[in-house]
Amino acid sequence: MSTKFSRREFVMSTTVGLNPLMLAAAAGQPHHEAKAKRCIFLLMEGGPSHIDTFDPKPKLNELHMTKFQKDRTRFAAAMNTGERYYVRSPFEFRRAGKLGVEMNSLFESFSGVADDVCFYRGLKAESVNHPTALYHLNTGNQFGGDPALGSWVCYGLGSKNPNLPGFVVLPDVAYPQGGAANWSSGYLPAQFQGTPLRAQGAPVLDMAPPEGVTEQRQGANLAYLRGLNAMHQRRHEGHAELAARVESYELAFRMQKEMPQVLELEKEPAHVREMYGIGGKDKDADAFGKRCLLARRLIEAGTRFVQVVAMGWDSHDYIDKAHGARIRAIDRGIGGLIGDLKQRGLLEDTLVVWAGEFGRSPDNGIRRGAAAWGRDHNAAAMSVWMAGGGVKRGAVVGATDETGLQAVETVHPLKDFHVTLLHLLGLDDNKLRFTHAGREKQLSQVGGELIRGVMA
Amino acid sequence: MQVLTILAILAADPGQLFVEKVQPALKRDCLGCHGEGQTISKLDLRTREGMLKGGARGAAIVPGKARESLLYRLVLNGGAQQMPPGKHLAPDVVTALGEWIDGGAPWKEVGGGPIWNFAEADLWALRPVKKGMLRLPAGSKPVDARTLVRRVTFDLTGLPPTPPEVSAFVSDRSTDAYEKLVDRLLGSPRYGERMARYWLDVVRYADTSGYSNDFERPNAWRYRDYVIRAFNSNKPYDRFVREQIAGDELYPGDAEALIATGYLRMGPWEHTAMSVEAVTRQMFLDDVTSSVGTTFLGLTTGCARCHDHKFDPIPTADYYRLQAIFATTEFARPSLPFLAVENVAHIAGERAGMVQVRDRTKAMMDSFGDTKRPDFPPEQYEAFKVYQKHLALYGESLDRYEAKAFAVSSGPRDGETDGGGTLRYPKRVDYRAPEVHVLIGGSVEARGEAVTPGVLSAVGRYSELKAFDVPTEVAGRRAALALWITDKKNPLTPRVIANRVWQMHFGKALAADANNFGKMGAKPADAALLDQLAGYLLDHDWDLKGLHKQILMSGLYRSVDVAPRRMEAEVLRDSMLAVAGELSLEAGGPGVFPQINEEVARQPQHRMGTLAPPYFPSPERAQRNRRTIYAYQQRSMADPLVDVFNGPSLDLSCERRDSSTVPTQAFALFNSQFAHDAALAFAARLEKEAGTVEGRIVRAFELAYGRRPEAEELKLSLEHVARMTRMHVAQAPPAVKAAKPIVHGITSELTGENFTFTQMQPEVKYEANLHPSQVSAATRALADLTLTLLNSNEFLYVY
Repeated sequence: MSTKFSRREFVMSTTVGLNPLMLAAAAGQPHHEAKAKRCIFLLMEGGPSHIDTFDPKPKLNELHMTKFQKDRTRFAAAMNTGERYYVRSPFEFRRAGKLGVEMNSLFESFSGVADDVCFYRGLKAESVNHPTALYHLNTGNQFGGDPALGSWVCYGLGSKNPNLPGFVVLPDVAYPQGGAANWSSGYLPAQFQGTPLRAQGAPVLDMAPPEGVTEQRQGANLAYLRGLNAMHQRRHEGHAELAARVESYELAFRMQKEMPQVLELEKEPAHVREMYGIGGKDKDADAFGKRCLLARRLIEAGTRFVQVVAMGWDSHDYIDKAHGARIRAIDRGIGGLIGDLKQRGLLEDTLVVWAGEFGRSPDNGIRRGAAAWGRDHNAAAMSVWMAGGGVKRGAVVGATDETGLQAVETVHPLKDFHVTLLHLLGLDDNKLRFTHAGREKQLSQVGGELIRGVMA
Repeated sequence: MQVLTILAILAADPGQLFVEKVQPALKRDCLGCHGEGQTISKLDLRTREGMLKGGARGAAIVPGKARESLLYRLVLNGGAQQMPPGKHLAPDVVTALGEWIDGGAPWKEVGGGPIWNFAEADLWALRPVKKGMLRLPAGSKPVDARTLVRRVTFDLTGLPPTPPEVSAFVSDRSTDAYEKLVDRLLGSPRYGERMARYWLDVVRYADTSGYSNDFERPNAWRYRDYVIRAFNSNKPYDRFVREQIAGDELYPGDAEALIATGYLRMGPWEHTAMSVEAVTRQMFLDDVTSSVGTTFLGLTTGCARCHDHKFDPIPTADYYRLQAIFATTEFARPSLPFLAVENVAHIAGERAGMVQVRDRTKAMMDSFGDTKRPDFPPEQYEAFKVYQKHLALYGESLDRYEAKAFAVSSGPRDGETDGGGTLRYPKRVDYRAPEVHVLIGGSVEARGEAVTPGVLSAVGRYSELKAFDVPTEVAGRRAALALWITDKKNPLTPRVIANRVWQMHFGKALAADANNFGKMGAKPADAALLDQLAGYLLDHDWDLKGLHKQILMSGLYRSVDVAPRRMEAEVLRDSMLAVAGELSLEAGGPGVFPQINEEVARQPQHRMGTLAPPYFPSPERAQRNRRTIYAYQQRSMADPLVDVFNGPSLDLSCERRDSSTVPTQAFALFNSQFAHDAALAFAARLEKEAGTVEGRIVRAFELAYGRRPEAEELKLSLEHVARMTRMHVAQAPPAVKAAKPIVHGITSELTGENFTFTQMQPEVKYEANLHPSQVSAATRALADLTLTLLNSNEFLYVY
């Protein structure tokens, strides 16, 4: 097995003999010219607090532990009823980059790349329930079952390397709420489904045969299979699916050979691994950094859309501890990823997105004593950021009110975010449609507007 | 591309613009002051006449001339007189308003009158069924007997014919040999299992509720078995429909009919502390309204939730009238003794096992002491939370062994829980029928006009089924709907089911979008034939088996013209087990847990920030190897084998399975433990049933393909076995490995750090599958042959 390969060689060697199975996908063309050709989506599952990360609210220091009044009696969830109090952020904030964007001081590495990032504070979700909000963010539909953003992007742009899945998910230790439906291809053909790469065991399910099955034995079975299928095909000429199915076995076994090479993070030089926080004392930072580095290797090798998941942002209690640990876990990974993409010239044509399913509330129904305060769910305000191809550099767009309860400036619903992300990747949501059960369907469901402010 | 062009034209159609953009904007932003309750400036924008007449400042619109229309000017840029006051309508709405006026301002009254412009061809499904002699196509030339017996057996049972069944048919020279075969298959209990799979796809059957907790619906399995029994007993289709929509109201005291109403609750559903109660209730109402339209009527009523249906004559008011029928439908879980036909053989044993696990969980929880004390360490609290969640999950799951029905009632609930979450919907005292309003944009916070329960007006407009009253009392609403749907004059119902039946046998329906008979659905390839099939049902007391038989006896079905089909996932799994001699044909009962990919079984399953217990396959082999229809259907975790072979999402109604080929299918079939285990069992079976290598190969072909190998195939196969035998003699198999503990990690919400948890294992003996180390090199070599046969195209395709 070759130990070293340049990106060019890798892509060249694997696109030879493009198979009919993937032809349709590979033929995808953008609707308009766009800088970004691929996307890394950093999914922060649980709902990171905008107030404690990228949208500090000093007003809460004054209001701390004063009673909070909400005018939402009829349509309140049980979570948001009862006595509630404003709570301040337990964190220090720093100013980063030329613009002096405020962010939690625990973002050390990431603050160094602030000038390459566009922070957007005007986004609104709809659901305050994790799985429905996650489905909404990932698939455009709160109810689940529709194709994921990554599936749409692969459907629109096709595959660059037929030997690798076009849409890869790098899950955290457990799957997010709502499970694999978060990266389902829905009604789109199965090849657009997100493939989760596992941290342990075979990276792709059943990619490796059971223990004791040697390559030699597998090869012999494959040869026998070819023989049987060839004889069968002679009796059923004109049945095109048969050839595609024969080819799928060849493709599967090319994938079986190539995938492990992409996964070999040890091949990366020590200084690169260190950039991502790999090998440090913080085990969570090490694991997240590895996923970020793997995301870079995957997009280099031709994967179109990689979703990296970091869980555990649902800090109803002990937000100081919980968010603190989460931020430490992702800081080097996200900072390293953007720095590394930039130094390789990949940031130009890669879109990087960081988002959770909703933001958090400025108030809390103190449950476990005042020392343990946290924040509840808030769909009316959140912070997301983008970097890379087609995105404004070093900018803050949109704003929330003085307590962080509501987005008030450049406010857009999630569907507009989806339309914008597709647009940055050269796709027009209104053209990127698929007829299912006699209905024309699209990611935004009903169309949306571009969030022009975030675009370069 | 063609579709896109059509859409572009439609988008410019002023009538469509009115329905999609103008009228919703009027309702949302204008009528509050100019029409509903008040008419400020004497302007009433509720009708076209009102607009033409205008108010104190003259006509609001001049049809054909947007720029001269006051309404448009004030909306576009009204300066100090900007309308609506202090607000700018969205640019697309303003544009639409202008184009609508320029286009002549056609008015489409919501809720009455012909409002859409249809070509007659778009209304085919709503027109009366043109019955007529059933004349089925003859087909070009008959297919050979061997192919035919395989085709019809797979079609009606989802399983391959056994070698004796094949040879009996091939050697039967009597003229009615084929008819006898069809009758036998229609009488097989496997028929109901096969048909039920299609039905459960459409209604989205699952044993769990989905979303965060994915709690079990403990008695849903009784609905699954009801559906199988209904097909097996050839329950007239109209009765089948009536029972599912209103079994409780129409057939009080009939246990089957009560179980049938579980249909109404098949959609995903959850209510937690994070959900808004009114929203959760509305989710159910929207789900059931749209499901009834799709399942029985082939209409996408859901589109009319937010706006008048873009393409079909379903105004929003109709949608909410239909929804009002369900406004008094409440979840119920009444006691209902098990029926003699239900399989309760394993209930006592399984319950005892689960009670034991639950009690161990409870004991673990108690060992934490007082978790409420302020200094209780958050790290420990995470472990406590896991046990707490397990206890809640077991609590729901244990109910699957109780003699209760997953059902509904009209008015106050019967039985105490919803089976979807620990937070209960409040009980209603002094139950009154809730008033139902059109919800503007589908939002519970934006109530529009009040509506009374009713059926779809378009059916009355275009078919012979005229006005149909739905009571406004608490009870009887669904009964009326069920009678309306199954009225013999309803043109949709017989067409929809006849079309589905056709699809079962030809892979493609006559009207290709089986869930959508509206304007955007595919038109029937042969409308006369579809009507004849529908007519057959109407004339024969909705006899589904009779309809199947008519189709199966046709020249077309028996010809070479039928397109080959790749097995659906469940057929594939069942067939692998069947040829391996491992399939258990026991029917019915609570869901069983098949052997699934071990990594998936052991992976952490997230539930509301904590962990569920892992997936444990049924310890008894005969239970693991039941037909896939009896597998426990968990929304948040599909069997990866079913999933990769295009298994549908359990949340979306699936009218037709996709059968696209992806490379991961090769992994699942060539590499998975399940496939290797099936192949080894298959090999062991061959050794029992034939004495020589050649005999075993012949037997393998007969079982897997329904035929003997050809000379060339036999030669290749003999060589392969010889080669693999040499390989296996040289390489010893790995030893059986002891099961490892299951240690799960999850990110703690309390500390933000990863936290690990060792899962409890059940204390039951697991009946393992045959292992390579337990057989000879020759058997292992034969298993390489059988594995390859199970991967071959001839095994997967039915011709």
